[in-house]
Amino acid sequence: MTAITASALTKRYGHVLAVDGLSFDIQPGEIVGFLGPNGAGKTTTLRMLAGLVRPTRGRCQMLGRRVPGPSLLEVGTMIEEPSFYPYLSGRANLHHAAVLHGGVPERRVDEVLEFMRMELAAEKRVRAYSQGMRQRLALARALLWKPKVLLLDEPTNGLDPAGIAEVRAALKTVAMQGVTVLISSHILPEIEKLVERILAVDKGSLRFDGPLQGLLGAAGANTVSYELEATDGRALLDALADLGLKPTPHGDAGARVAVPAALATDLLSGLATRGVDVLEARRGAASLEDAYLRLVGAEGRPS
Amino acid sequence: MRATLNAVRAELFKGFRKRRFYLLAGLYWVLLPAVALITAAVLDHNLTGSFANQGGQIGQVLQGFASPFGMARLALMAPALMSPTGYIVAVALFAGLFIGEERTQRMWKTVLAVQPARMSVLAGKVLAGMILLAVLLGGALAFATLAGVVGTLFLPTTFAGPWGQVAGLFVLQWLQLLAALLLAYLLVFLVRSGTLGIILVIFLPALLEGLYTVLNTLSLLRPLTRVNAVFQALRLKQAWEALPHYFFSANLYAPARHLLQPFLRSTGAPEGADLGPLSNLLGQGITLPHAAAVMAGYALVFGALTAWLVARRDVE
Repeated sequence: MTAITASALTKRYGHVLAVDGLSFDIQPGEIVGFLGPNGAGKTTTLRMLAGLVRPTRGRCQMLGRRVPGPSLLEVGTMIEEPSFYPYLSGRANLHHAAVLHGGVPERRVDEVLEFMRMELAAEKRVRAYSQGMRQRLALARALLWKPKVLLLDEPTNGLDPAGIAEVRAALKTVAMQGVTVLISSHILPEIEKLVERILAVDKGSLRFDGPLQGLLGAAGANTVSYELEATDGRALLDALADLGLKPTPHGDAGARVAVPAALATDLLSGLATRGVDVLEARRGAASLEDAYLRLVGAEGRPS
Repeated sequence: MRATLNAVRAELFKGFRKRRFYLLAGLYWVLLPAVALITAAVLDHNLTGSFANQGGQIGQVLQGFASPFGMARLALMAPALMSPTGYIVAVALFAGLFIGEERTQRMWKTVLAVQPARMSVLAGKVLAGMILLAVLLGGALAFATLAGVVGTLFLPTTFAGPWGQVAGLFVLQWLQLLAALLLAYLLVFLVRSGTLGIILVIFLPALLEGLYTVLNTLSLLRPLTRVNAVFQALRLKQAWEALPHYFFSANLYAPARHLLQPFLRSTGAPEGADLGPLSNLLGQGITLPHAAAVMAGYALVFGALTAWLVARRDVE
């Protein structure tokens, strides 16, 4: 039984085709990154999976059962900007959700508050919460009934670096318990640290579905990134530009540059013939950001 | 069923944490009986020993509105005679709390992600609204009776009165408010705005009924020359004139206004006093079974439309 199945999922709003025949399966326990530029159809897809939006065509299943249906009771969601009753405290909001869902013992509210390190802010009214606190509370709510599947849309929005790291750690803990996670985010380095598989969409269609290493490997097969240090930074940048590359300055006398794989072996000799004294050259792996931009193009640069 | 009960509990948890509920209850439970009691005390002090009370009319008037029964009757009747009525204000308030707020706080996606059984969520919201209305009406009955009991300590009033009837009318009025609650939920959901929906709930029925009155007046101006046409026109006119018997407001408040004639009699108005043009608008002449049947019809239509909308609409 798959955890999540989308079959030819399509959503049309008037003349706008938001999602176009999207099909994928996610196995139980997988952590999948859901990438795509703004307007690619990620949130609409997540909404269809959560039973909030009816597909124009196609269908989705959650834990082997059709959506919408009771299987959604085993799904925790956090879609777009988290919403709460502002006049209730964080704890009261969680209590409300626990009662509405049913079958959640009261002590579970304390457990998720502690898990998300929200104990001290729990009694404050939500209207006084910062964006980061709201994100944490939303994640706490999504975990209330120990879901088997988590659908997360930009869960680290508005969090500071420490908060991002905490959320990442929390999600890793949850994933280790066998929870299936489908996570959409624009913070690609975070996705890279968290997921095993990537689903990339653009203009409502699936552009890539495979392991993270596959996507990185595909990008790495074409380009190699270098971090270079030289005695004269200005001469280094000029020589790289002379080789037809687009370097970015790094440190006092260094540069970062992506080099086509075919030119990589001749890079250092090319610099030497141009009189550049290279002190250090570090070859880096392709990042998810490189791979993503290669996949969706520069217009898909995350905002 | 369990999902519905969960939704009821969750909505009540939220509802009882809203100050506006206590404000409304305070006005209804305390202010109304207090004003009535003070008025009765002033009347008693100024008029009981005067020439105006030679036939014992003042005692009759005080028994009519300041006795325990009179206070209970007043608590039922007064909200139905205000404009906008106290009942519709309460209904609009609960529609704002249970439906409108979900939109303004963008909570629909959260609520339906937590509990995906949409019909259970809707049923829970309707039942929670009805429970709060029951608390409001039950509290009004209790506080008004209590104020009447306090009044017996210094006013020439007694416990006498048809208590069974007034209790039954309270229950019937509460049941009939279901149609108003469903209309309020429907409008708030339909216009996708809590504020506009609440305004419509208060004014739309009266607006439509006022429109009818204008059209009715205009229809009388039409010249008719042929005999056959006169009969046709008379039939149409009869049907047109019977229409107020199916009006939302006239039927909705029929239980509360049922006691208006006895109340007027108790204040010394002649037997069978005619309310003139107000008669139709106040639902006089509409029997309680008729009003109950009409409101059940309204509730069915509004309930079905709301359920259809909630079931089908995408949640953005």
